[in-house]
Amino acid sequence: MTEAANLRDEALKAIAGAAADADLEAIEVEYLGRRDGKISKQLMSRITSLPAEEKAAFGEQVNDAKRAVQEALAARREEHRAARLADIGETEAIDITFPAPPLRRGHAHVLSQVRRELETIFAGIGYTVEEGPEIETDWYNFEALNLPKGHASRDVQETFFLDDAEEVVLRTHTSPVQIRAMQRIGTPPIYIIAPGRVYRRDNLDATHLPYFMQLEGLAVDEGLTVGDLKGTLMYMTQSLFGTERSVRMRPHHFGYTEPSYEFDTMCGRCMGKGCRSCRGEGWLETGGCGMVHPAVLRNGGIDPARYSGYAWGFGIERIALLKYDVEDLRLFYENDMRFNRQF
Amino acid sequence: MRISYEWLGDYLDTSGLTPDEAAELLTMSGTKIESVQVIDLSAIIVGRVVEQRDHPRSNKPLWIHQVDIGGGKVIQIVAGASNAVAGTLVPVALPGTKVPSGTVVRDGKIAGELAQGMLCSAEELLLGEDKEPRIMLLEVGEPGESLAKYIPIDAIFEAEITPNRPDCLGHLGVARELAAAAGRDFKSDFMPPYIEGVPPPAAELIDVAIDVPELCSRFVAVPITGVKVGPSPGWVQRRLRAAGVRPISNVVDATAYVMLEHGKPTHVFDAAKLAGRQLHVREARDGESLLCLDGQTRKLRSGMLVVADARGPVAIGGIIGGEESGVTDSTTDMIIESAGWDGVNIRATSRALGLRTEASVRHEKGLAPEVAMAGARRAAALVREWAGGQIHSEWVDVYPRPQEPVRIQVEPKKIDALLGVEVPPEESKQILRNLGFQVRAEKDGPWDVLPPVFRLDVELPEDVVEEVGRIYGIERIPGTLPGRRHTKWERSDASDREWAMREVLLGAGFEEVVSPALIAHKLLERLGLGDGARALINPMSDELDTMRTSLLPSLLAVARFNQNRTGEHVDVFEMARVYHGTIDGGLANEPVRLTAITRVGDGAEAGREGFLRLKSVMDRLAADLAASAPAYERSSPIGVPAKSKISWGESLYHPGRTARVELAGRELGVLGELHPSTLAAFDLDGRAVALDIDVGSLVGAGGERKAAELPRFPAVQRDLAVVADDDVPAGELHATIKEAAGPFLENVRAFDEYRGGQVGEGRKSIAFTLTFRSPERTLTDAEVEGVMAQIKRALEKKHRAGFRT
Repeated sequence: MTEAANLRDEALKAIAGAAADADLEAIEVEYLGRRDGKISKQLMSRITSLPAEEKAAFGEQVNDAKRAVQEALAARREEHRAARLADIGETEAIDITFPAPPLRRGHAHVLSQVRRELETIFAGIGYTVEEGPEIETDWYNFEALNLPKGHASRDVQETFFLDDAEEVVLRTHTSPVQIRAMQRIGTPPIYIIAPGRVYRRDNLDATHLPYFMQLEGLAVDEGLTVGDLKGTLMYMTQSLFGTERSVRMRPHHFGYTEPSYEFDTMCGRCMGKGCRSCRGEGWLETGGCGMVHPAVLRNGGIDPARYSGYAWGFGIERIALLKYDVEDLRLFYENDMRFNRQF
Repeated sequence: MRISYEWLGDYLDTSGLTPDEAAELLTMSGTKIESVQVIDLSAIIVGRVVEQRDHPRSNKPLWIHQVDIGGGKVIQIVAGASNAVAGTLVPVALPGTKVPSGTVVRDGKIAGELAQGMLCSAEELLLGEDKEPRIMLLEVGEPGESLAKYIPIDAIFEAEITPNRPDCLGHLGVARELAAAAGRDFKSDFMPPYIEGVPPPAAELIDVAIDVPELCSRFVAVPITGVKVGPSPGWVQRRLRAAGVRPISNVVDATAYVMLEHGKPTHVFDAAKLAGRQLHVREARDGESLLCLDGQTRKLRSGMLVVADARGPVAIGGIIGGEESGVTDSTTDMIIESAGWDGVNIRATSRALGLRTEASVRHEKGLAPEVAMAGARRAAALVREWAGGQIHSEWVDVYPRPQEPVRIQVEPKKIDALLGVEVPPEESKQILRNLGFQVRAEKDGPWDVLPPVFRLDVELPEDVVEEVGRIYGIERIPGTLPGRRHTKWERSDASDREWAMREVLLGAGFEEVVSPALIAHKLLERLGLGDGARALINPMSDELDTMRTSLLPSLLAVARFNQNRTGEHVDVFEMARVYHGTIDGGLANEPVRLTAITRVGDGAEAGREGFLRLKSVMDRLAADLAASAPAYERSSPIGVPAKSKISWGESLYHPGRTARVELAGRELGVLGELHPSTLAAFDLDGRAVALDIDVGSLVGAGGERKAAELPRFPAVQRDLAVVADDDVPAGELHATIKEAAGPFLENVRAFDEYRGGQVGEGRKSIAFTLTFRSPERTLTDAEVEGVMAQIKRALEKKHRAGFRT
């Protein structure tokens, strides 16, 4: 047996008996260490004293021994690693049913979420968001919308006034933004939505608030039709509530549209069959809409002979109510965190 | 408006059309039916009271009846009303019957007496309302017969009538709609025939004048003499009750019937009680008053219209009649009034008097003068039919402003163009004719469309298109989305940026609040936030009388609300407009603010932590929205900029713990601990810190984001604990470090503050981490030490600083 083979066997024996990776480190240094390894250095250094013809064979013996030791070290390390990992399933087990601490993150208010969703839905068909003042003039809020002073159709919108002349009002709807948008943009095409707060002198109860939020939509372009309005409302309703829910338009009357309609959303509980929550109707009143009245277009500086338009509006609370089955409108403004955190 | 389905049958054939089907047709053509209540009396039978006596033992007023229910059967019934005396005919519900009001009759005993059925009131049969317990008495019938033999099955519709359609505030109008929607014949003429009366002519019996033709377009007066006032026929009473009107007498019921049929209120005067036999329409004089038919005396003033006789007002025009000139049981000669009133004036008077009547509700919509004549003719015919008497010839018809005929030119193409569907022209014409319109069409030319006289709401081609569209059926119009011809696509990212701000607050654990913008002015005043506040002149209460100038009071109220309900100290924010000042045309400044409050525990250190929490939020807002860092200026009552430079609310804050926040030289708002007295005003425990900034300024600060190249050489970090006098702000030390460091200082950040024995009285130690880097090479230790030495020298010189190791 060569000396290389002896050292190799000695090292392999030590490796086989090594219990820990630290022992293997020591063995590696002892036999293969760069400075003073028994094989790599001490044995190898003898090569210089050998006759030239023996050098090649000797070198090969040493390298074989080194390779064998290296392989044995690697195999033994792998054994150690496998042994270490073999039982982590027991040794490191945790109680995965232990409850996690809540992530500290706030909740966007449900009305903000619904408003955001609506803005995103309408952005999808190219509508931009338009704003207007809440403290508004009588002209923008009523007159320009074909609701003259003393007219019976003002009755449904009981108004808060800020001056004795009753010329400055809290806007009763987002519709004045229609006029402001037409004036600002000037030449159609106009495709805008205007979400925001509105105010009416209604007594506070489960179904009425003196303040609420509306979303107004307005499109003015060449050749717009009732069909386009209907398609837009269908797109909105099904984006919000899913394709099984449809929208129903009913002829109605508003001063600022002609023809005018109210639109209803199919009741989600009975899917239109009629149940208690929709009072047997199968439909839930959602908002008003229609083709923009020619006088309103003119007041916005648009030529009604060339352009037509459609507009719609509804309460944002109403959508939240339909989406989440909220029973009492007051909850939206009370900010009881037990309510707000449900959304 | 209550509509009796049975009544509609007078004007169209309703056979084969169920009430529910009719309601659906009406709803989908624009007359929304809110509810349908079917009244089916086939299970109720006629009974004859044989005997009535008092209940012997009950404390409550009860009467015991023996009732013949036919077939030789007599049963005992206990009732709580005394009017079913022996001999009367009564409606009886036997045990097991469900009466229309919903009660199920049971067999049993009442207060110890056998009760084998129930005597029904009109209310229980849904035939009317009663003020006091009263059994409904029948005029005809034989014991045992079904009541349905005398009272047909009916359905009551509750209809929502839009203000443009006063013609539908009567059964005739609704019937016309139903006939058009159902495609059935409409069997009634709008204008009843004229009745030629007897002499003397009307003008000799009554003198009519209109002083205000601009407010009263027409006044028809029909004298009828020799009437016999009494109850109206049973079927009339039943129909009135079905429509929600209490029958009074044949004469008065005739006017009610006309109102419920034609939608036209008329009035009857007792001719004998009119001083000077005259009816003049004029403005009321200040100081005049009238005892009205409802028993109330109302003070009148100029601007209100009255009908007056020689003494004074006898009616408030178009709204209510006077008590003294009204028809009574002893009236024999009467005048029917049917007039055309100005809707706006009626509405103003009705509001000023706080009096809404069936008449005012209709007249305020502006009824056509032609409708006044239709109402007069119908009322005269019914009075003569039900109360007898003689109508006098040559009716008085003062008509200063005859109704102008309306003619609308409609391009038939316009119908399709606006509806978005092709409606066959013949169908359009038929729809319009069914609704009472006349259509004159030449080949290919525009149509001449003449609306019926009672449709003042139809003026424009668009109105005509609406008529066609609603009967044609919206469900037959396909939904489409418009094609677009935009040349530029404008998109505002304002709401995206506002949402990005929300995300920062939400991520930091703040809950979003949406609270009312209306607030109590006295609260704003108390907090010193009342300047420039815009108040309502007609608030509903003093709790909601002013638009808020700040979101802070709302958030503090929310904090208190949750603290009281659950004990939770919640961190909240709101992003919303505030309102202040008056700008052009009476508008207000309406900037959007972002306000947040964080609640912390008691103690100065807790307050400081809260301050830093919100400061982190502000830093992150600035970094995300404007890609820059805000500046914080100490703001306190001593040595601070004048109050006007802080937007508002400064006094709400802690004098030593408040900062003005600036970004790129623009004032953003304020960050500060709230003053203890502010918290006390809201009963809040512990301490609270608020951030209140202007959203527009933050969004407007801009700051474009461009990708920076990643560093290629390693950074070197050094910590430096600087000891300085207590009153030297960290920000100044920070500034000195930056100034002295030169180009290699990449970042410097304070991470700890220490006061105590090791640094001495009146001194503090602030630890900074400094990061150095060169973009061109790896810095050597020697270079970094050189810079550190420079920094230390500057700090020593400027701030008398020392250093801890």
